[in-house]
Amino acid sequence: MLHTKIVDVKKEKILSSNAEKFIQNSKFGASIYFVGTVRNINDNKKVTGITYDAHDNMVIKSFQEIYNETEQKLNIKDKAVYIEHAKGYLKVGDLSIIIAVACKHRDQAYVLSRFIIEEIKKRSPIWKKEHYENEDSTWLKGNPIKKN
Amino acid sequence: MKIKLELFGASRDFSTKDFLELEVQDKASIKDLRNEIVHYLNKNCKGNQSFIKIVKSSAFCSENNEIITDNYKIIKDQKIGIIPPIGGG
Repeated sequence: MLHTKIVDVKKEKILSSNAEKFIQNSKFGASIYFVGTVRNINDNKKVTGITYDAHDNMVIKSFQEIYNETEQKLNIKDKAVYIEHAKGYLKVGDLSIIIAVACKHRDQAYVLSRFIIEEIKKRSPIWKKEHYENEDSTWLKGNPIKKN
Repeated sequence: MKIKLELFGASRDFSTKDFLELEVQDKASIKDLRNEIVHYLNKNCKGNQSFIKIVKSSAFCSENNEIITDNYKIIKDQKIGIIPPIGGG
C-alpha cells in the first residue's frame, strides 16, 4: 500500500490525521510516523519560514521508486507507506513532510522509515528557500541529484 | 530547436517567468544547452557568477521526467527541466 502526494499549501495542509487513518486501515502491527517541520534556526540565522519548490512529477516518481526498492533492498514485502511533502511557503513549526509506515514488526518499521527519508533527501527534486528575520532569503545549497 | 527550459529551485531567480525560451542547434547536446544558458545569463543577468555556478552543478530532466546526461541529443522542440542541487525534507 502506498500513498504519495505533493501538498500545495496554498490550497491545503499536510494533516497527520490523514496519515493515521491510512496506517490504521493497513492493519499492520508496527507503525512509525516521521514528521519534518520548519525549524527556527539554521546556520545561526533566525528563520521565519521556508518556501518549498518541487518538480511534482519527478518527486512522485521518486517516491514510487523508493517504495518499490524496499522489497529488494530491505526485504520488506508487507508494508504500508504514506508520504506527503509540502510545496509553497511554510512558517516555523509547519509540517513540511510526513512519512508514515506500517509493517508486521518494529525493526522493519524503523528501518523502512529511515530508508525512505534518506533516499528522498538524495533523490527527490525538492528545494528550500529560507526566509530570515532581517527579511533576507536564500535558496539552500543542496546536493546534486543522484540518478538511480 | 526551441527549448522551453523549466526553472526550479535556485534557477527560478534567472527569470521572472517559470521558464526560459532558448534556441539550440539540431542535435545539440545537454552540454550545448548548458552553454546556451550561460550565454543567456551573461547577456541578461550580467554574468551573475552564482547563477552560472548553479547551471554548472545542475542536472537536467526530459519531458518524460527522466534525468538526462550531458550527451543526450536534442532532436526536436521540447521542454527540459533544470534540476539544481536538491535538498527537501
